Amino acid sequence: MAKGLGREPGPVPGIVKAEGADPLFKTGDEIKISMRFPIGHFRTPNYIRGKRGLIEAVIEPPAINNEDEGFGRNAGVKRHYYRIAIPLSELWPGYTGSRNDGLRIEVFETWLERS
Amino acid sequence: MSSHAQAHTSAPDAGGAMPSYYEIMETAVRELLVEKKVIGAGEIRQMLEVMDTRTPALGSKIVARAWVDPEFRARLLANGRATLEELGIDFFEDTQLIVLENTDRVHNLIVCTLCSCYPREILGLPPDWYKMRPYRARAVKEPRAVLAEFGTVIPDNVEIRVSDSTAMIRYLVLPQRPPGTENFTEEQLASLVTRDAMIGVVKPNIPAAKEKSQ
Amino acid sequence: MNQTEDLIKHLSTELGGLEAGPIQGVEHDYAPWEKRCHALANVLDIHKIVNTEEKRRGIASLGSELVGKLTYYERWIVSFANILFQKQILTPEELARKMREVEARHPTAAASGA
Repeated sequence: MAKGLGREPGPVPGIVKAEGADPLFKTGDEIKISMRFPIGHFRTPNYIRGKRGLIEAVIEPPAINNEDEGFGRNAGVKRHYYRIAIPLSELWPGYTGSRNDGLRIEVFETWLERS
Repeated sequence: MSSHAQAHTSAPDAGGAMPSYYEIMETAVRELLVEKKVIGAGEIRQMLEVMDTRTPALGSKIVARAWVDPEFRARLLANGRATLEELGIDFFEDTQLIVLENTDRVHNLIVCTLCSCYPREILGLPPDWYKMRPYRARAVKEPRAVLAEFGTVIPDNVEIRVSDSTAMIRYLVLPQRPPGTENFTEEQLASLVTRDAMIGVVKPNIPAAKEKSQ
Repeated sequence: MNQTEDLIKHLSTELGGLEAGPIQGVEHDYAPWEKRCHALANVLDIHKIVNTEEKRRGIASLGSELVGKLTYYERWIVSFANILFQKQILTPEELARKMREVEARHPTAAASGA
């Protein structure tokens, strides 16, 4: 447990954190990439939309949505990116390589749903 | 080939041929931005100097160090950027670095299907093929076939992990140390590590029999 | 059924999973202007004059034909010009005049009386 303030170990009670400061997901969570189809700009490729995977890692610290940066925003609410593991057999029907072969890809929190 | 920019008002590059339309455009954009004080007069030159010091030789040295120094290797795998910053290798903006360790069970390769993200702070500028359609389209769909085209055959009992960069993480593959190199110096080890091995499409060079016996 | 939706929903620059031919080990030594173009991109991003994501979006905006026909840094510099116009940092006329001026410096241009 982390050292606290004064004599108490652990987090200071009563603190409310900013929106997005805590990750919504943790390593090992089963997730699905959202099925939505923005036009104009995005950084979540079409080939993973709607696919299921696992959270391999929570990337710290939270950061702004790079998709919004495409139109010149250099600020915004920060949320987490996650390194997602998706089996290639999930992505490509009839995948002929090893069943353990997989994709790793960073995805912004707003693209993830619990599966 | 000298790659330092001339003063911001530059003469065209080649002595003979007319610069291309796009080279003229680049020169014009740069000069206008300096004239308007949007960017400083020396900034491009300074950035070129930074870029020139990032080549695959830098990556090779990092891999060789990781092969001989387990503590460095552990720190590198835990936090790529922080460990390399301690060596004076600075990173651009919010870029993070994840070093991907190849093992007997896992083979890593890297790609950017959306554009051309690449660990430039360590390896310098990427080869054309990395930025072109065949690699970017097929690496995430049929990595084994792609690797075979590079002459790399990965057995079915070895898992292939393809990392597709989309945000601030950049990747460097840490290949396995070739057998027969137990007595190699760090410099000799670095000479076995090619750029393509750090992208993950080939394995490091195997030392020639002559080298091994030294 | 609108068959063009797919074109709109995909970026002209996104390639993951698409059909493609064999890998060709193509490489070339970067020309000085290409390196300068890359340096320009880095400087513009540091100052958030044109950030990296804007550059990527700008390149995709060129559309499939230009993305297919222009080389890598040719796409970058045209995209930068477009974005700088949109941000009112440069005007098309300014750029055109400066390009003429740059072109006229070349001995060939001078000799031909351009």
